[in-house]
Amino acid sequence: MFPGVDKTSERNVPKPGMTWRSGAGPILLLGALALLVMAEPAFAQVPAGRDYGDFPVIGGRAAVWIAAQVHLLFAAFVLGVPMFAVVTEAIGMFGGDERYDKLSKEFTRLLLVAYSATAIWGGILLFLLVTIYPTLFSYLAQIFNLSMWIYVGLFFFESFTLYLYYYGWDRWKKGRAKWFHWGLGIALNVWGTIVMFIANGWLTYMMSPPADVTVDTAPQMIQLWTALTNATWMPINIHRLIANVVFGGAVVGAYAAYRFLAAKSDEERAHYDWMGYVGNMIAIGALIVLPFAGYWLGREIYEFNQQMGITMMGGFMSWLWIIQAFLIGILFLAGNYYLWVGMGRIPGAERFMPYTKYMLAVLIVGVIVWATPNTMIASREEFAAMGGTHHPFLSVLGLMSGKNTAVNFMILTTFLSFLLYRRANKEPVVPWARTGTIVQGAIFIIASAVVLFYGIYGYRVPTIVRIGFSVYQVLTVLACIIGVITIDLLMLRGATSRGTIRWGRMPARSQYALFILAVTFTWLMGLMGFARSGIRQHWHVFEVIRDTSPWAATPALGYSSVVISACVLIFFGLVAFIFWLGSLAEKPVISSAGRTSAAGGIQSDLQPAPSEG
Amino acid sequence: MLKTNLSILAVVIGCLAVFTWVANAIPQLQSDVPEDLVLSDDVTPAELIAAGEELYNGGGGCTACHGLGERAPNLLTDHAGTGLIGERCANRVPGEDCKQYLHTSMVDPNAYLVEGFAPIMLDASRTLSSVQIWAIVAYLQSLGGEVTVTGADFADDGGAAPAGGVVASAPAAPVLGPTGPLDPEELLTRYTCATCHAISGPSPLGPSYEGMGSRLTADEIRTSILDPTASAAENFEAMLGIMPPIFGNIPAAELEAIVQFIASQR
Repeated sequence: MFPGVDKTSERNVPKPGMTWRSGAGPILLLGALALLVMAEPAFAQVPAGRDYGDFPVIGGRAAVWIAAQVHLLFAAFVLGVPMFAVVTEAIGMFGGDERYDKLSKEFTRLLLVAYSATAIWGGILLFLLVTIYPTLFSYLAQIFNLSMWIYVGLFFFESFTLYLYYYGWDRWKKGRAKWFHWGLGIALNVWGTIVMFIANGWLTYMMSPPADVTVDTAPQMIQLWTALTNATWMPINIHRLIANVVFGGAVVGAYAAYRFLAAKSDEERAHYDWMGYVGNMIAIGALIVLPFAGYWLGREIYEFNQQMGITMMGGFMSWLWIIQAFLIGILFLAGNYYLWVGMGRIPGAERFMPYTKYMLAVLIVGVIVWATPNTMIASREEFAAMGGTHHPFLSVLGLMSGKNTAVNFMILTTFLSFLLYRRANKEPVVPWARTGTIVQGAIFIIASAVVLFYGIYGYRVPTIVRIGFSVYQVLTVLACIIGVITIDLLMLRGATSRGTIRWGRMPARSQYALFILAVTFTWLMGLMGFARSGIRQHWHVFEVIRDTSPWAATPALGYSSVVISACVLIFFGLVAFIFWLGSLAEKPVISSAGRTSAAGGIQSDLQPAPSEG
Repeated sequence: MLKTNLSILAVVIGCLAVFTWVANAIPQLQSDVPEDLVLSDDVTPAELIAAGEELYNGGGGCTACHGLGERAPNLLTDHAGTGLIGERCANRVPGEDCKQYLHTSMVDPNAYLVEGFAPIMLDASRTLSSVQIWAIVAYLQSLGGEVTVTGADFADDGGAAPAGGVVASAPAAPVLGPTGPLDPEELLTRYTCATCHAISGPSPLGPSYEGMGSRLTADEIRTSILDPTASAAENFEAMLGIMPPIFGNIPAAELEAIVQFIASQR
């Protein structure tokens, strides 16, 4: 057992007749089969002194890290895409626009191949865990065995629901059958969400075990539900749900960008231009909401353990948040850039173009403020060189008040970009259109004023009060978004068009922005995964099971960034390979115009959507 | 198409290269594991300071809060004009010399809470051995003051040297479970409960424990400790929010001892 908790080892050794047969694996059916074979030797007879295995060259931790991260990236994709696939299918159903139905089917087609990759990497992760961290895995299996069995069962249902959903698309296309098909899409999401919630329970238990679990607590005495529903479980669930949508949208956007660049016909180019736009809108739209979920998660971490929270935000990980600000700055800039370039294909957008330079200025200032270091760990010499514990000028910007204000302005600016894009070619016909626009402008101004007020006032109050102000800023921005969008939806009912959007008329550079978005999102996921896992520091289960392996020290960001980049490279390499494989299966079809295109039956009748915005 | 593929590959690799470069360009901080510390009983001040400094900046995790002056008093340079920690430590508490003050501040961090700071620090002996704590004390003394920590302090503190004169620290594994009979009243003092709640008679701030067992069940008491904001005792509604929600961190056995003690106060 673990050297640090010797006294518990005797209590945890299964007694004759009550050997733990936690045979089912946590990830997938493949893992379950493997465990059925390995369960006895792996769990009941862990040789004394063999708490950790090893892995050639890169070491055990890096091997598990890479397997877990790549598995998670694929899993996030296959959980995120069904969410908006089912929504776009519904738009097609209820709006009577078949293009959305085709788009939804194409989203789902990407899932099929990604699904098997998720399963394979889950299997790799499981085998690595069992061979490199056998004792820890045994401990977790004794607590979570039932949930592992349920997990595998749900994975089974999820897979077959997906197959039915995709392969039944054309068979169940009309009438009640279409409702049944849509129901399959919803079921797919339900299974996927439960699967994710269960897995989140395992990892959040390691991060925030219930208060009554100590080194003395035998795992079989820990109630499953209590362990699953620990302090950070639900915040992680919500955060990941939203993040999966962001990630799925970004990868779909990158896929569409690739197909756009490779397109051989205008029709094809128009379709993938539209698909890229939808992917980007989904990604950036969900990204705007993500900080709110992140704030809740951070708050719960502080509530669970103040020192853990401090380690995360101000301890050895403090520089991580500067990197995060840098990455999110790239996301905001790339997302907005894509929208602004996209305005070039919308008749009527010219009237908004002059404003983009001001929006760019706000975004750049926001990124600079957000990325300003403040309470960094530094040595005595570094403090002396700086002239104090904080930079004499920049530290003012680095305070939470400044940063929160900056990020809220960035969100408002991005929302404004979407709004202008959406309205570019539309002419409202309702009699109150002018009043409505004035009210929308007033809402923006009021929201900005409130955000600015609390940003400045925050410098005049104690830290504990200042932290509370971020809630008011967040709620103000949310209220602004909801209010303005509601007015917009009502105002643009029956709006006339200033001209059809010229889908496909996008410069190639805009598509590279979509690639940058996808790579940055993916890297950011890896970074935040490191943050979530790293705040446990040298604990497998925080303050319960100590990590006594050679890799117990939590690495610095430099090393971590190399591992994260490797994971991202592996992920995109495989995604490219998988999509290439998928394209091999596409059969050339003759389009309505008589041209040949590689379409798999989808692109043959592609038309650009008339005025999505 | 080859050109397009190469362009895409260049964009992806370029992004990864920039991100990796930025992450390597910033200060590299690793969260070290507190290593076992072995020092002889005739350890020199220089050895103690070196060991303490390494712990302070590494596995001890001290820099997460101290040195910045925001979450905790600045221990590295100056704090509010009172000088370096080695200079000011002897003047903090009348009757306690620098060494005693620093040691007490580590093992009972809320004993002398510096004004303006929240009681967020946990007992350092949960994660550090006696020798490690004394080494950090020596390092802090060295910042502007005289180092008075000696090998004898380890022995006095239960870290007695085995035959041969070598003082070996306990493994750095935390002592989370009980090691002997628990004294609830000592626990109430150690976790600063008694600072606000009197065991008998009028309380300084929160409700007294006297008679609490006749008003609340053990479950309710446990909930109140783990989630102090869940409800307020009668006539103490205005105090809701003052008690910090940090007691979920104390070992379960100790928590249970406290709960049962309070429940027995009828």
